[in-house]
Amino acid sequence: MPALTAKLSPSVDFIGAFDPKIRTFDIIMKTANGSSYNSYVVRGSAGVAIMDTVKKEFSKDFFLRLESLCKYEEILYIVLHHLEPDHSGALEELMLRAPQAKLIISGRAVLMLKGIIKSDVAFETANTGKIISLGDKTIEFLSTPFLHWPDTMSSYLHEEKILFSGDVFGSHYYDERLFDDEVGDFSYAFKYYYDHIMRPFKQYVLQALNLYSRFDIVTIAPLHGPILRTNPQYYIDKYEEWSSEAKFRKHTFGKKMLSVFYMSSYDNTHTMAKKIMEGADSIEGIVASMYDLASLDESNMVDLLEESDAVIIGSPTINGDAVKPAWDLLACMAYLESQGKIGAAFGSYGWTGEAPEMLHDRMRWLKFRLPVKPIKIKLIPTKEELEDCFAFGVEVAEITMGKMVEMEI
Amino acid sequence: MVSVYLKNDNIKVNVKTGKSMREIARKSGASMEFGCRVGDCSTCIAKIVHGADLLNPINDKELLAIKAIGSKEENLRLMCQCIVEADEGEIEISYFF
Repeated sequence: MPALTAKLSPSVDFIGAFDPKIRTFDIIMKTANGSSYNSYVVRGSAGVAIMDTVKKEFSKDFFLRLESLCKYEEILYIVLHHLEPDHSGALEELMLRAPQAKLIISGRAVLMLKGIIKSDVAFETANTGKIISLGDKTIEFLSTPFLHWPDTMSSYLHEEKILFSGDVFGSHYYDERLFDDEVGDFSYAFKYYYDHIMRPFKQYVLQALNLYSRFDIVTIAPLHGPILRTNPQYYIDKYEEWSSEAKFRKHTFGKKMLSVFYMSSYDNTHTMAKKIMEGADSIEGIVASMYDLASLDESNMVDLLEESDAVIIGSPTINGDAVKPAWDLLACMAYLESQGKIGAAFGSYGWTGEAPEMLHDRMRWLKFRLPVKPIKIKLIPTKEELEDCFAFGVEVAEITMGKMVEMEI
Repeated sequence: MVSVYLKNDNIKVNVKTGKSMREIARKSGASMEFGCRVGDCSTCIAKIVHGADLLNPINDKELLAIKAIGSKEENLRLMCQCIVEADEGEIEISYFF
């Protein structure tokens, strides 16, 4: 029997579940000391609202905590800020136990709900400005999409100034003391969570912060990890800082960054890279640089990719494929937003030369803009071919600087 | 020919009638994002800045998806459902994702 429920304010209690044993979350995230699936009950004079549920395996804990604080027939609303299974795992059972409760989800969650509960259930959708009343308590919804799924939303409890932020401001950090002033140092987990979950959606983070700024927030109640009640503005400021365009070159010199990443086995792809970089660097407003993928750590790849307005990748073709470090580089885009970045690919080859096309195709799926066709050269580039490489660099750089591309298809 | 200007990417594509926006996006290298490609997920929602009447009529799936988003913007379409139907004219598209 889990003893712990915790009071956030006179009418709000934590009823979530702890998962101290989880070591990898969502396949990609390391969770060194586990995590929690936060859920809350809000009590008003007319009844209660349940804010989110937990991962299915932890339903028992969730229901025991819920039952210690309210009766099922008191539940007026079930609010799901985000439908990912770690928050919707107990939803179906909760709806069976509280059939009178109204389910509230975001408009974009409708099709996801059908994918999770394979039968028709009644629900209402909420966009920014929708308000529900629990008698003497008022909850206002805020549409905060893509943080980090299309369906995500937040809500604000006016009377007690609590922001239910969804996954925003979460941490995968297990500590049953729960509140930021009582738990251990979770700052690394807070940043790690941002980097892996929110970083690809920076523009949406900034939009959400703008919506949050309308409210006086005393406590932030996220869906994972510590509840933030000591100085909520500190965490908001951190998100703002990390999500603002922290581009050193742009801020300081007003330049656009073009990065040429390459690997070379017989120096031919390297020779192409140098010419492409020279061409790109000849364009006013561009700072072009080149990096040998053989000596680039993943964290540096992520930072460089994020800083780059244009990314040009060169790889030889070995056994009909681009080399692994080139794929590793592109795999780092999972942590970033590619929207608006220009991409291009090149490479020297001996037999078949598929690598540039393959990289180009991969970048297309990653939503790069790919205005120029890939360039490939058989073995050692001639003088004329190196001139083509220079022109290739010029063209990518000019488009990066805003030249319009016109074509017929 | 119809000129399709993809505002976010600064690309102007001249196409013949019958071309789908999916093909135009793919062949031009535009960064327009598609999700399910069948009109369910609304990832490819875009605003037709002008020239909306040069495309095929909006369908029920699009109306449903746009309603779910709750936007008051006019001339929203799902790019995965759009086909250029006119023979000439200019279309300008601004996309969200």
